[in-house]
Amino acid sequence: MVKLIQGPLPDTPIAWSVHPGGGGGGGALVTFEGIARPVEGGQRIEALDYEAYEPMASNLLRRIGEELIASHGLIGLCVEHSVGRIAAGQCSFRLRIASYHRKEALAAMDEFIDRMKRDVPLWKTPVYAPMASR
Amino acid sequence: MRITIKLFGPQARAAGEQAASIDLPDSDATCAALRRALADKYPPLREGLAACRFAVNHEFVDDRTTVTASDEIALIGQVSGG
Repeated sequence: MVKLIQGPLPDTPIAWSVHPGGGGGGGALVTFEGIARPVEGGQRIEALDYEAYEPMASNLLRRIGEELIASHGLIGLCVEHSVGRIAAGQCSFRLRIASYHRKEALAAMDEFIDRMKRDVPLWKTPVYAPMASR
Repeated sequence: MRITIKLFGPQARAAGEQAASIDLPDSDATCAALRRALADKYPPLREGLAACRFAVNHEFVDDRTTVTASDEIALIGQVSGG
């Protein structure tokens, strides 16, 4: 499942029907959340502005997920990503992976994020704090 | 033919626009020709242009790909999701 969400991701993840124990016999649910750091390169950041080229971004996120489900033998994968502005400290990215055992979920998690950061047409632009407060 | 190329992120900021407009001869309508034409018409795009990829109709393509005026074309530079 792929969902692009305007603004910061809500604290409660979106509803997702695939989960361990839901008839699939899985024993692992791994969640990663990406949080906007308040300092980058020594400069204070107030916010990040996210931009997406749709529908290519969603198509590619979905394709990467489907490939990793097949190659790692996962039960399922759900990704949420912000577009628009999010403040420092807020969540912009959430990835959940359900699997039978932890090893394949952890390996797939790493690979998904690497591929997303290499290929998916999403961009973030920092909004810096005013000079006096940096 | 006139080709419109969507720009995003660093490339949009460098060009000062969200879309670039290029005139290509029908006889040489490849992404390689687009790349050369972008470098000529938009000098601020030159740095980093070699590392950018083209997407045609939402799929990455190589420079041998031929485009038409009805294709949706985007220049995808370094991405920064997550």
